[in-house]
Amino acid sequence: MNWVITIMILALLIPIYEAWQDNSIWQKMLAFASIATKTSIMILVVSVLRDDWMIGVVGVLILSVGNAALMLLAHVLRRINDL
Amino acid sequence: MIDTLSYTLISIGLVFWFWGTWPLLGDRSVLFKLHSLSVSDTLGSMSIVVGLLLKIPREWPLLVLALISLAIWNTVLGYVLAYCSTRGGEDA
Repeated sequence: MNWVITIMILALLIPIYEAWQDNSIWQKMLAFASIATKTSIMILVVSVLRDDWMIGVVGVLILSVGNAALMLLAHVLRRINDL
Repeated sequence: MIDTLSYTLISIGLVFWFWGTWPLLGDRSVLFKLHSLSVSDTLGSMSIVVGLLLKIPREWPLLVLALISLAIWNTVLGYVLAYCSTRGGEDA
């Protein structure tokens, strides 16, 4: 199962690079949304790998609350752009 | 048999991840990237979670919760990001 984690880290590097090199705020938001999903799925894989239920709970929390926070942040950014 | 199936699902999910994330590097519009990202990232993640579910059926409540929140949140977030970025954003 270790190869899965390695490939996932490689996939995670793409949005991290994008968030680092692009200055447009919406492109950054997109990259952040991708990073949030990918890391939470990685946490779930690690929790199954280690057979640890509690790590998995953290992954599911990030999946639901993290996306909600990104949605609120997008609305705040839009309001700021309107001002 | 089930082990092979779960590894196949996880591999398909990883392929979808790369397929959806690769356009992020290009110079296309936000909406193009958002579409490819939300479709193939969600499908890939769901396939990975189903693969994990086949591996350890004992943790099904947690993994089904992950599947539901992926299916709902990623679609909603796609709509919200598209809506917010096209109105008032500087690069519509």
